[in-house]
Formats: sequence, C-alpha cells, structure tokens
Amino acid sequence: MLRYVFTRLVQLVIITFLISVFAFLMVHLLPGDPTLAILGPNDTPAARAELLKQLGLNKPLLSQYVTWIKNVLHGNLGASFLTKQTVTNALSVALPIDLELIVVSQVVAILVAVPLALVAALRPNRLFDRVATTSTFGMLSLPTFVAGPLLVLVFAVELHWVPATGFNRLSQGLGPNLQSVILPSIALAIGSIAVYYRLLRADLIATLQEDFVTMARAKGLSTRYIMLRHVLRPSSFSLLAGAGISIGTLFTGAFVVEVLFQLPGIGFQLVQAIYSRDYLVVQGMALVAAVAFVVINFGVDFLLTLLDPRVRRA
Amino acid sequence: MARSADRYDRRAFLARGASTAAALGLAGAGVPLLLEGCATSSTPAATGGSTPGVSRAKPRRGGSITVGVNSEIDGFLPNASHFDNSGLTYANTVFDSLTRIAADGTPRPYLARAVTPNADMTVWTIALRPGVTFHDGSPLDAAVLVANFQSLRDSPLTGQAVKPVSGVAAVGDMAVQVTCDEPLVAFPHYLATQIGYPIALSQLSSSDSTHPVGTGPFVYQSWEPNDHFAVTRNPNYWRKGLPYLDAITYKPIAEDQSRESSLRSGTVDLMLTRDPNAIKDLRDNPSFQQIADLDQTHGQTDMDFIILNTAVSPTNDLMVRQALAHALHAEEIVRIFGAGVTSENLSLFPPGSPYRPADNGYPAYDLAKAKQLVAQAAPNHGGSLNITLETITDPRLLEIIQAIGNMWGLAGFHVTIGQVEEVTFIDNLITSKFVAYTDEMFAASDPDLNYVWLSPTTATPPIALNFARNKDPLLEAALQQGRTHSDPAVRAAAYQAVDKRLSEDLPYLWFSRATWSVTASDVVQNFNNMTLPDGVLDQGFASGVFTPTTAWRSA
Repeated sequence: MLRYVFTRLVQLVIITFLISVFAFLMVHLLPGDPTLAILGPNDTPAARAELLKQLGLNKPLLSQYVTWIKNVLHGNLGASFLTKQTVTNALSVALPIDLELIVVSQVVAILVAVPLALVAALRPNRLFDRVATTSTFGMLSLPTFVAGPLLVLVFAVELHWVPATGFNRLSQGLGPNLQSVILPSIALAIGSIAVYYRLLRADLIATLQEDFVTMARAKGLSTRYIMLRHVLRPSSFSLLAGAGISIGTLFTGAFVVEVLFQLPGIGFQLVQAIYSRDYLVVQGMALVAAVAFVVINFGVDFLLTLLDPRVRRA
Repeated sequence: MARSADRYDRRAFLARGASTAAALGLAGAGVPLLLEGCATSSTPAATGGSTPGVSRAKPRRGGSITVGVNSEIDGFLPNASHFDNSGLTYANTVFDSLTRIAADGTPRPYLARAVTPNADMTVWTIALRPGVTFHDGSPLDAAVLVANFQSLRDSPLTGQAVKPVSGVAAVGDMAVQVTCDEPLVAFPHYLATQIGYPIALSQLSSSDSTHPVGTGPFVYQSWEPNDHFAVTRNPNYWRKGLPYLDAITYKPIAEDQSRESSLRSGTVDLMLTRDPNAIKDLRDNPSFQQIADLDQTHGQTDMDFIILNTAVSPTNDLMVRQALAHALHAEEIVRIFGAGVTSENLSLFPPGSPYRPADNGYPAYDLAKAKQLVAQAAPNHGGSLNITLETITDPRLLEIIQAIGNMWGLAGFHVTIGQVEEVTFIDNLITSKFVAYTDEMFAASDPDLNYVWLSPTTATPPIALNFARNKDPLLEAALQQGRTHSDPAVRAAAYQAVDKRLSEDLPYLWFSRATWSVTASDVVQNFNNMTLPDGVLDQGFASGVFTPTTAWRSA
C-alpha cells in the first residue's frame, strides 16, 4: 500500500513539474516578441518595461524558469496587465467559488444518482428503470446553457427564491451563500447525475449477478441491507473514477455556468484573460487548474485503492 | 449591435479608448463662446412624476442599490484605462468631469467654474470651482489639474485626443490655461469625456489603476474585477445635499439575458443594456422604468456599420465599395435584428442633427445596380470579387454578418464569413489586417470628437486610428473647417460635407444607430434628473452611461 502511494506521489510530482514547464513556456510559445503579443495596443515603454521585469525575458530560459517557479512556490503568480490585480488575489476570489460549486453540485448529483441507480438496478428494464434511464438520457442531452436560464426563469424570476446572478460569500451568511450557489450547482449537477446514474447502474447490475449476493440473499438479509452493505461498495469504482474526472474538469469546465450566473470562478476568469490576452493570468490560472485536476485524480486513485485491494496489487 | 462583455473589449478600445474622442451625449448646434457657471433658472425638461427616471417627491436619504452593467473595466486611471460605457458610469460615480453636457446639448461647467476661450479659441482658461476636495482630503487646484493634463499628454492612450494641446500652465492657484496649436472650438466637449476627470495627485503619482481617488459623489470601497465595484456616499461632496444613496454596488454581468433576469428577479435594481431584445422585453413592463437614447438628436450616438479597409484589395476599389453598399439592404437587417427598437440610419449623424444633410447621397439598396457594378469591377480583380466579412465571437453578430454575406452573395460577391477573438480584432483594425469588419462607434457630443477616427492624418501605418485608411483630402478639409470654426452655420456646413464625403468614399456601410437603455425597478427614483450647478438640466442617460448622483431609493 505504502509503495503504491509512494509511486503515485512520484508520478504526481513529475506530472506537476511537466505542467509547470508547459505553463511557463506558454508565454514563450507566443509568436514574435512576447511582450508585443501580450500588450497589443497597450504596448507602451512603461508597460513593456514592467512586463520585461515581471517575465525576466532578458535572462536564459532555465534561469527564467527557476525564478518563475520560485515565485510560484512563494505564492507569487504575477499580476494582470489590465486590472493590475495579482493572480493570487484573483485566485482567492475564484477558488472558493469553484470549490463550493463543485462540492454542492457533486453532493446534489450523488444524492440523486445513487438512490436512482440502486432502485433501477434491482429491477432492470422494468418501468422505473426505463423511466430513470430515459430521464437521465434526457438530462445528458440538456446543455447547461439551456438548463441554466430555465432554472433562473422559474426559481429566480418567477418565484424570487434565489438570486439570478452573483455569488454571496460564506461570510455573508450560510443562507445567502447557499441561495447564490444552489441554481448553478443544480445546472452543473444535471450532467453529472446522468453520468453517475449510468455508471453506477451498470456496475450494480453486474455485481448483483455475483455469487456473494446470492449467498447474502440465501441468508435472508434484507434487500436494503444487501444493496447498501454488500453491493454498493464494489459497484462504485467506475462512479468514483468518473467523479474524479468530472470534478477535475469542473475547475475550468464550469465556464458556461459561471458566465450565465456571473460567478467569477477560475473558468470564467481564465476565458476572460484569454480574450484579453492577459497571459500572466492565463498562465497562473491554467497552472492552478491543472494541478488541481491532477491532485484530485490522485485523491480519487487513493480512494480506489482503499475500496478495492485489486487496484493496489495491479 | 455588438457584444456586451469583457473588461477590455472592442468597444472599450474603439468607442472610448485610444483617443477618448468618443465623448458621450448631446452636442449643441453651436459651440458656446463662453462657458460660465452663472445661475439660471432650473428648467427640468421632465415635470411629470410618470416620466421614467424623474421624481418630484421629496428625496429619501439612505439605502443602497445594485446596478448591473454590461462589462468590466480595466482600471480607474483616466490616462491609461479604457473607459467604455461601464467605465464612464464608474467614473461618474467616483470622479467628476470638468464639464458636463446639458440637455440642450451644450457643454456646461461642472468641476470647472468656467471654461473660457481667447478670441481665436487657441487658448482656453479653465477656472476651477473653489472648495472641492478629493476623497483623500487634498484640494482640487491648478497644480493638480496641470499634473493631470501632463499625464494625459504623455499617455499613448489619451495623447491623440489632446494632440492639438501645445501647453498647459497654471494661472494662479485656481485656474489653468491650455494652449492649442490651432483653434479647438470643441474643447469644452473634450472636458466632458475621459480626459476631463481630474484625479488626486496621490493616485496620479502612484499610477494606481485599482483605487480611484476622485472628487465624485461616491467613494471607492472595493473592486473585485468581474465580481463587483462597491462605493459608499461621499460625506464631503462639493454639491451640498448630494448624493442621496448611502452605497452602490455595481455588478458586471456580461450576458444580456442574465442581466435582464437579474433585474426581473430583484438581484439588481437597475441595469444597462444595448441588446434590442432586452430593451423590447422590458420596455412595456409597468414594473420597470426605462430610458432609451432613441430620441437623441443632439450630437451622435454610436452607429452600427460595416467598416471597409480602403487600403487592401478588393475594397480599395471604390466601385467595389459602391457595389457592397448597394447590395446591403440595411432596412431588412434592422427589421430582422433590431427587435423593433432601433431603426435604419444611413448617415454618420442621427435624424434631426444639424450636421445631417437633407440628402447625403448615400447609395440606396439596389440589387440590380450592385450586380452591374460587380460585373464591371470583377475583371480588375482577377475575375471574381472575394470579400472576407468578419466580426467578433458573438452569436448575434455572426447572424448579422451571415445575413449581410447572403445579400452580397446575391450581388455576385464571393463572401467568406469569419469570427475573430476581440483582442485580435482590435489589433487587425489598427494594423490594417482586415477587409470588412462589423463595427460600432462614433458616439460623441460634438462631431470634432470623432476627428481621430476619420482624419487622413491618423491613417498612417503601421498603427492607425483611422481604421478604414480612408485618405480623402476633401474630408480632411471639412473636418478642419468644423474643428476650427465656431460659427454654427459654418460648422453645420462642414459636417454636412463630412457626411457627404463619407457617402462618396464609402469607408463605412451604415445600417442603424446603436440604442442603449437604462431600466430600473420602481424602487429606484430620480435616476435621470440631475440639475447642473448652473441650474440647467443635465443631458442624463446617453450612450450607455449612467450618473447616479441624484438617484434615491424609495423603500
């Protein structure tokens, strides 16, 4: 177990290093003079001098990387050329939004998908299963840019239960905070519900064919007990792996929802920075998002090894 | 009809940015020879309580409102930041301009007590209002204003706008003399734009674009780009009794639909938009008060048009541009995409403007004529006429250029439709790497403010603000005539000639005026009823710029 974890940790470090190199080179891959490409119409002697100072472009590449990574490790990811806001400050705004969106949306998705899958798997191809499968297929086909405005129309515009846009921090109170994240979280969860339901349902049906389930039934254990204690855990590997990827991609993939609900998360700010050619922000945000993706998937892998000994033996 | 988004977007650069020439609002038929802060009777145009944005009830002090704006800005430095309509709205919140445009279109003193020219209008003296302090407690005096002007002249962003200015000097403690190379009759109008907002020396010396220190009715509290800009009441505001609100929170909401939903749900109390569909949706709803700048006849509003590059093939051929103009059915474009809100406008100037000639000679829609011109021009361009028509990455604009592409296709053009990312769009415009682009600009309280966009003197590569590269000496002569003559009749004739020259040269293919609106819930009162210190009514909302000084909240 320890060896497995150590191996994965070494892989994590290597991948993170490669990501940092790629993020660093992003500026250098720009065609022509990177300062011109970054500044565009804002190219003034003062701005260029400031940029050169920030990027250290007059030094050898390796030296530049070492300086940059040192700064990154000290929490200095540079600053926006447009707003002068530091990337660290922008991340301090964006990260709590994304983390909360991810947590709430995934809780909603799991709370809906798991019970649905448990019931559907018990009687596959019967009415409930067909309705649930068809419904989740419909959910999968419902893009967030359709689901989002529909949710806003009903719950914000008509019922006035929640705000249509914006993010209330936890410091403003739990109620206002949850009110501001619930709609975007549901919009994000819709796609995850469909995926999680399908993954779990398929695995549950397969597990229910196993001998140990027949044995449990023969012992007279209740269906509820069998499903929750014996079947759910060995059936949740695909679900966990899928959740890992889903959560990781949500760091930047929630862009559409963030735009619709005006939540300045990482995806939103990243796309804004790309449009504005604010490459230091792009560089910093991309680095953080990529590292978050890798770390989350490492965490999921670790969970899988706890759930399934076969994984660590593989 | 452009995308409403982004802290640094095409509009920010084009409409307000590089020269700040695109001043807002209303321009008078003539240019005042003397601007004095003399007291006149208050003559509010709107007197009825039912007029949107005007309240005759006793103002209620306190409370706060949330305002949904269409874009985020890139900072609060007038000499370096790109003030689009949101930027100017923010500026009117924490800064004050030296002059403001009155409802009759004339520039009036605001932070300035008076703005007076010499006989030939080459020297302007700005007398400052006494007793005005910045939010950091420092006084507004001549030294501060000189420092502000110097920074504007040194800035590549604003330097073009103040290019005619050859010298700035303090005359005593409270007056500044601005010397120009040539008569600059629209100078007071310039002081109502981005270059007219003095900031405190503390902000100027630190070049801090994130913490505005102005003289405005509200004081900076916090700014988180893309999230909010929060301000609180300035207790030491020089206009006694104002403002009424305790606080304002601005929220940039890029998506028009999301902004509209935010207003409808009560998430915001007031919103700005130029989306015809949103304007139409909210226009007849009794729950909201709406003001649109549709009826504006003074000055110029933004125009929606196609800009043609007259320096590249095939649009360097006048016959080709004529064919494109004849093939563009502007009325149909407006009918399909204007949501019944805006109307066709085939002139640089709006109907009713003294600068608009009775007939500017702009080519009417005539498909047969377009086909004939294509047949004549094609042999000069290898047998076929290929046009690349592009816009920014905005679905609505894409639909518009697809429709225009189809119209041009019917005339015999081979049209390639494309979209480019906004920063590239701006780069391509200033470096001449385009054939035909959608565009939206030219809002100005005085036509001279558009000089830098139209003049052949700014069409020189590699970087040019005359994006169309239209080098017409007759146009330049007319622009100079308008710039340097104060006689309203002479100026009217000059700008009518400008409009006619543009219809002759066809660097721009017009289709409509861009329409802006401000819509508020019924709790927001008196948000468009500011009286200026000399007693006349301010122009109010125009071209997407809102001023919150006199707004109050009823509950």
